[in-house]
Amino acid sequence: MAKSRAEADHVEQEEPEEPSENGFVREFDHQEEESERSDAVGSSEDEGSSGEGEKDGEDDEEIHQSAEESDSSEDEVAPRNTIGEVPLEWYKDEEHIGFDITGKKISKQARKDKIDSFLAGVDDSKNWRKIYDEYNDEEVELTKEEIRIIRRLLKGRTPHAEVDPYAPYVDWFDWEDKGHPLSNAPEPKRRFIPSKWEQKKVVQYVRAIRKGLIKFDKPKEEPRFYLLWGDDSSVAENKRHGLSYIPAPKPKLAGHEESYNPSIEYIPTQEEMNSYQLMYEEDRPKYIPRRYESLRSVPAYENSLKEGFDRCLDLYLCPRTRKKRINIDPESLKPKLPSKKDLKPYPLTCYLEYRGHSGPVNSISIEVSGQWIASGSTDGTVRLWEVETGRCLRVWDVGEAVQHLAWNPLPELPILAVSAGHKVHLLNTGLGDAEEKMRIKELLHVEEVLTDDAGNSVAAVSWVQHEKHDGITLEHLKTVSTVEWHRKGDYFSTVMPSGDSRAVLIHQLSKKHTANPIKKLRAPAVSAVFHPTRPFFFVSTKKNVRVYDLSKNKLIKKLDPGLREVSSIAIHPGGDNVIVGSKEGKMCWFDMDLSSQPYKRLPAHPKDITNVAFHRSYPLFASCSDDCTAYVFHGMVYSDLNQNPLIVPLEILHGHTSSNGRGVLDCKFHPRQPWLFTAGADSVIKLYCH
Amino acid sequence: MPKHYRPPGKKKEGNAAKYITRTKAVHHLQVSLPTFRKLCILKGIFPREPKKKVEGNHKTYYHTKDIAFVAHDPLVEKFRDIRAHKRKVKKALARKNRELADRLLNRQPTYKLDRLILERYPAFVDALRDLDDCLTMVHLFAALPAVGGERIQVERIHNCRRLSHEWQAYISQTHSLRKTFISVKGIYYQAEVEGQKITWLTPHALQQVLTDDVDFNVMLTFLEFYEALLGFVNFKLYHSINVKYPPLLDPQLEALAAGRYSDSWLLLVFLELYALCRYVSAAPERQLGDSQAISSSENEQSEDKKVDAQTDESDLRLAQLQHQLPANEPGTLMHLVEDATGADDEDNETKECKNLFKKFKFFLSREVPRESLLFIIPAFGGVVSWEGDGSPFKESDEDITHQIVDRPTQGHMFLSREYVQPQWIYDCVNARTILPTEAYLVGRVPPAHLSPFVDNEAEGYVPEYAETIKRLQDAASKQVLPMPGIESGDLDDPQNLLAEGIIDRTEASEAAEKKRKLAMLEKQYHDELNMELQGITYSASLSNKNLQSSVEDVQEDAPADPEQMEKDTRDLSMVAMSRKKRRLYEAMQISKERKKANVNILKERKKKAEASKKE
Repeated sequence: MAKSRAEADHVEQEEPEEPSENGFVREFDHQEEESERSDAVGSSEDEGSSGEGEKDGEDDEEIHQSAEESDSSEDEVAPRNTIGEVPLEWYKDEEHIGFDITGKKISKQARKDKIDSFLAGVDDSKNWRKIYDEYNDEEVELTKEEIRIIRRLLKGRTPHAEVDPYAPYVDWFDWEDKGHPLSNAPEPKRRFIPSKWEQKKVVQYVRAIRKGLIKFDKPKEEPRFYLLWGDDSSVAENKRHGLSYIPAPKPKLAGHEESYNPSIEYIPTQEEMNSYQLMYEEDRPKYIPRRYESLRSVPAYENSLKEGFDRCLDLYLCPRTRKKRINIDPESLKPKLPSKKDLKPYPLTCYLEYRGHSGPVNSISIEVSGQWIASGSTDGTVRLWEVETGRCLRVWDVGEAVQHLAWNPLPELPILAVSAGHKVHLLNTGLGDAEEKMRIKELLHVEEVLTDDAGNSVAAVSWVQHEKHDGITLEHLKTVSTVEWHRKGDYFSTVMPSGDSRAVLIHQLSKKHTANPIKKLRAPAVSAVFHPTRPFFFVSTKKNVRVYDLSKNKLIKKLDPGLREVSSIAIHPGGDNVIVGSKEGKMCWFDMDLSSQPYKRLPAHPKDITNVAFHRSYPLFASCSDDCTAYVFHGMVYSDLNQNPLIVPLEILHGHTSSNGRGVLDCKFHPRQPWLFTAGADSVIKLYCH
Repeated sequence: MPKHYRPPGKKKEGNAAKYITRTKAVHHLQVSLPTFRKLCILKGIFPREPKKKVEGNHKTYYHTKDIAFVAHDPLVEKFRDIRAHKRKVKKALARKNRELADRLLNRQPTYKLDRLILERYPAFVDALRDLDDCLTMVHLFAALPAVGGERIQVERIHNCRRLSHEWQAYISQTHSLRKTFISVKGIYYQAEVEGQKITWLTPHALQQVLTDDVDFNVMLTFLEFYEALLGFVNFKLYHSINVKYPPLLDPQLEALAAGRYSDSWLLLVFLELYALCRYVSAAPERQLGDSQAISSSENEQSEDKKVDAQTDESDLRLAQLQHQLPANEPGTLMHLVEDATGADDEDNETKECKNLFKKFKFFLSREVPRESLLFIIPAFGGVVSWEGDGSPFKESDEDITHQIVDRPTQGHMFLSREYVQPQWIYDCVNARTILPTEAYLVGRVPPAHLSPFVDNEAEGYVPEYAETIKRLQDAASKQVLPMPGIESGDLDDPQNLLAEGIIDRTEASEAAEKKRKLAMLEKQYHDELNMELQGITYSASLSNKNLQSSVEDVQEDAPADPEQMEKDTRDLSMVAMSRKKRRLYEAMQISKERKKANVNILKERKKKAEASKKE
């Protein structure tokens, strides 16, 4: 009740204040005002105390009255604004703030600007007491007394110090049972005996404390850091247990371009910057170098937190494996080969050139004695040269482009087998002494009857006497690609790649007989070679090399080079090793004793290999290719079966020029000397000597 | 039947048994994924790359042994305890049982990482080897704003700051800093501790922004481990130089430091170190002094001293600090440093580093990165002061030889000192010589700042300024060690000279050429002498020689140009290589080509820049 009274008092006190503080009042002297106020309070209190003897209900009212009285007595000026409790923003845009009691507009005061008001505030020491009254549009200065009241209110006390809120209660009323309490029930027992449950709980706590389950004091702090690694002397203990630890790779250290002031060449030019924009997001460089003139102009790096986080992710999310990083000199990868000097002699430099053909020289062949060389060209001529002088001895015109030619391996039978188109010519070269010439003439004579008889559809080949030159012509059904002699000089084989079941034929010169021992090949035949010592016959198809035993007439081996297209084959004079050249520029060395897979693949040429050749006596072999080079290799085959052949590349022979996309078309070794002949598409034959 | 089909009743084997996916690992450990992450980070478990990914290519695989290793760790149980404890507190609060909640909060389960650190790094060297990331992270967090209410607790940032300063104090004190580099990302430092090269990055001393695209939980877990690791490492390092860890600082000064200047903290650490070092280094000398006395009594004595020292330690330190702070003569400071480490035997590099700035006295203007320079200059033996409170000497000190300034113009200049930009310090440190200051003076654009971490020779491109520095280094080394007989054309052994670092590689090759020519001339001379002895006339010998040479000409004519020869030999060796080696060789060639292309770009840019400069 006291509180409500105080509140009421306060309200009554406050309200009249507002109108009283207008422009005039502010003019009043401070002291004067205060005295007036104290008077007012005094009077109200006087009245309050005088009314105490009367009815209690009137108490409040009286104070009201007194306050009102005091207010009315105090200010004659009515409240300025009469708009009532309406939102002030209705008048926001108006010139006036409302209407006075006479209904006239009250115009707004001129606004002081901020600086002026601030300066005025600074100068005026009482500024803190001033409050702007929005309703009446004026500044109100609170008096000291009012401040005091506000302070008391803030502290939650009665506004006036004189009021005693705890005055003894006086019961003014009388009723019948005034002498009895409200309830006469006796005090319950539980109010004055200790609680059983509380006691149980206490016992529980006590036990828990005794047992150490509840501890009240904070655990003692141990020193956080101590000497974790004692002495590192015991190495065995210092091993990390468990799986092998793979340390994370260290972040890359900064290079020159990351400097705040990199040298000028590390900064990309404007064009390069523009080109970065055209790149894909992931190809774009992560960091673009920039140059700052001085250290103070370097800004904070905005990605440092992000990069730190990325590093964290790398550390715990990236799978780690141990990868061997090879940090070796690439030169050390090259195999240690025996020095070339030890492997001499081998063809090294171009010694002679044989010129005369007008078209690409398709094939060459050297006579067994090594004195003569025959060459066949696409211009339709076969030429016979003397090796040492380079003199052209004889020219045959066979009419068609010569595909292949071969000398009879017998020195006493200087017969040349030439394949040109569908025909194979056996030419009498006219070398040797008179007796030999006679024998050859006899040998190269065919009766016409025989061919007529065989001229039916079954015969694949017809033996005809050559009209122009003395010799025999074997007319085949299809184009003949190669001709090879048997070592004894009686048999020779021809290969027709498109001949299907009659692709490979074996002819006997003495009997003028043709046989077709191989019926089935599965792939187009490329060439066929006789084994140098045994009755074996090698037929290379585009896919593989088939080895036949001619005496038993069956296939005994299939060599699988694993190449795209076989182009040529050569057999080591020992007979156990075979090299196969392919159109993808690779060469395979087969050791027949080892397996049907190649012992070694030599990726020598960038272009097609046209031919491969073994030397008859020296451990040399060569390959020639369309890239205008010929490679010479050292290929040593040991008689010891446990030792694998030694293959060493020796020399690359240049010299031919490319024509029509073809380079060197054939290569052959000299039978005695370590010399190599090459026939080029530029219609030149070259002799390379050691 | 699929290849990896396993008949029932047969055990898993191979990759299927060795590796499990992350999901399975989490299920196996019966923890939540965040806890699993935390465990992996703390234990240092990382996924591994199985040879065959049995469960799919896009999954992460852990080794089963790794997971078993985690499963046996007490930390798993501890994390479960913490989780249960949190729930208890929550429950107590929900029941408004404030008392219980308080009591529970008072005794939160905690864990320590010392065991884990020892497990991961059984030897101290292992820890040092892995310290790069740790230091970078701690320095990064030390640079973050220590603002309450952010995602990172303020205490942790302060802890990081303290740890990083302790580390820097150690490095600086032992002169083991080797390389520095100002990059755009921050400043790189490389130190060598116990033979391990440790590189770390400190961000520039500017306000860092906390971005939203990072997961602070992960980073803070890492930081938790790193803080512990660095604490133990620092302890060990301080122990090795006989300094108590953690260094006790005077609370008053510390408060001052924490309140106003973050970097005077560093100074305090230094001063603390100096004081402690002096104290510590004095102790063994004293012991040595009266070595005749009985060892036990001596021990007692020293212990007594120690106890004494500890009792009035703070007083003593305060006195020392106060003594040093205002009237800090450079001589005494240097003396302190000498006292501290001079007695130990040191390797040459440390000596070199220690004496680099020995003769100089630096003064830092207020705009230079003070923290970094306060770390570097003492590490290389210099004396340093700065503008501001607590500086050992004022700007007007006559003995100052260099003032580090980073402003466009300098108003008042003392004639007795040089005004250089901060880059000069960093370049000097990297070059290990005192570079001429002309290029670095106030207001000039300094020469390019080059990275010390790049091997220019291996990279194939040497920037211009690197060559200049090299020349200066050579000059300096010559000046220091004048070697007899270099100038007199002693070109017998260019390799040896190379080893001595006098001439670079090209010069060496030139020298070799020269030598060969000399040898040829000599041989000719000898031949002529012989001929003369044999009585052959000069004209005859000439003709003879001509003949020989003609024969040689014929022989030498045959092989074509050397380029062709080279190509041939390369092709030949390629033929003889096995396929695997050939592929490797080709790959190497490709990488070589790429490197060359990069270098070519640089050269091109350089040429263009020079051309435009001339115009």
